[in-house]
Amino acid sequence: MEERGSRVGLANSAGAADATTVETAEASGESLQEKGFVVTSVDSVMNWARTGSLWPMTFGLACCAVEMMQAGASRYDLDRFGIIFRPSPRQSDCMIVAGTLTNKMAPALRKVYDQMPEPRWVVSMGSCANGGGYYHYSYAVVRGCDRIVPVDVYVPGCPPTAEALIYGLMQLQNKIRRTSTIAR
Amino acid sequence: MSAPIETLAAQIDERFGERMMRVPSVCGELTYEIDKHDLVEIATTLRNDGDFGFEMLVDVCGVDYLSYGSDEWTTSSATGTGFSRGVEREPVILDEADEFEPKRFAVVYHLLSVQHNFRLRLRTFTGTNNPPIVNSVVDIWNGANWFEREVFDLFGILFDGHPDLRRILTDYGFIGHPFRKDFPLTGNVEVSYDADKGRVAYKPVSIEPRTLVPRVIRDDNRYSADLKDVSDG
Repeated sequence: MEERGSRVGLANSAGAADATTVETAEASGESLQEKGFVVTSVDSVMNWARTGSLWPMTFGLACCAVEMMQAGASRYDLDRFGIIFRPSPRQSDCMIVAGTLTNKMAPALRKVYDQMPEPRWVVSMGSCANGGGYYHYSYAVVRGCDRIVPVDVYVPGCPPTAEALIYGLMQLQNKIRRTSTIAR
Repeated sequence: MSAPIETLAAQIDERFGERMMRVPSVCGELTYEIDKHDLVEIATTLRNDGDFGFEMLVDVCGVDYLSYGSDEWTTSSATGTGFSRGVEREPVILDEADEFEPKRFAVVYHLLSVQHNFRLRLRTFTGTNNPPIVNSVVDIWNGANWFEREVFDLFGILFDGHPDLRRILTDYGFIGHPFRKDFPLTGNVEVSYDADKGRVAYKPVSIEPRTLVPRVIRDDNRYSADLKDVSDG
């Protein structure tokens, strides 16, 4: 059983699904108890670490930020996903663009993004950040924050609920799990 | 209309006479039109005189009456056909004109007298100058500072005597005054990240303006007089 499990763990490097990851974890648990070691791929470990501790930059721009705070507060509690808001881009690997991005704010947003260390991901939250939304025809608003930074996940809504944001962050975790940094 | 308001109106009429022209208004609100050269003197009296005591300036607004009373679209027959949201506008560049219509721009002051529980609205037109200019009331109400900066930013109305007349809301290096009716809604520039330059760069705007005025049918044939008489019996 543990041998099959470790082979599954190696196969994970190509692309891990939730079910196989759980199986691997159970199998590695048995392996750990019986033999005292675990075999897996470096990619799996890296992705496990990255998905388990996404630290988003606090970047609230408008009313979406209130929903983002709600998602981080006790009821929805992003902490249980290991998602902890950081006040500094240097400590973050994820940015949630929560709200209307204006022309005046755009250089600041890009600067903050540039200050984040690699690897980094961006979640665009709400209609305004996705494509200008209500302010699409305004003279002062960027028509989508993907004109300024590359976006990984778009969360629709005006504003999206806290559940929707959490769903978007889980999609981002799935996306991170699919990436393989070491394996070719 | 409540009695205290009429008392105030009578006092103002007695003190200022023809210099403050009362504008017909609803909801028991007092609005006066004054000449822009009388502004500072009248405002000082309204603030300092014990009968008035308007010690609080609630707001300063700008108004552009360029397209006042005219619609972007007309509809007498739009009920069945709908109308296009695409609007063709003549590019109006009035900023280069030597002078404006005398009643194009107005500045509106909202005053509150805490001791008497009175509210008052003053409206003054900026005249024909280009750029439009009125006297600043910062020396009378210190809170007017940022209000006047905002009016300057959005309407391009200058305030003579303002200590620090800079833009306050729009982007750094913004050109134009966006609340003027001849300023295109979509603006003239848009921003995006330029990977070659490595910074956020400005480009000419890429989308067409369109009307966002709600489709309100004012003259609907269903409500025409002859039909109504028949249906009502």
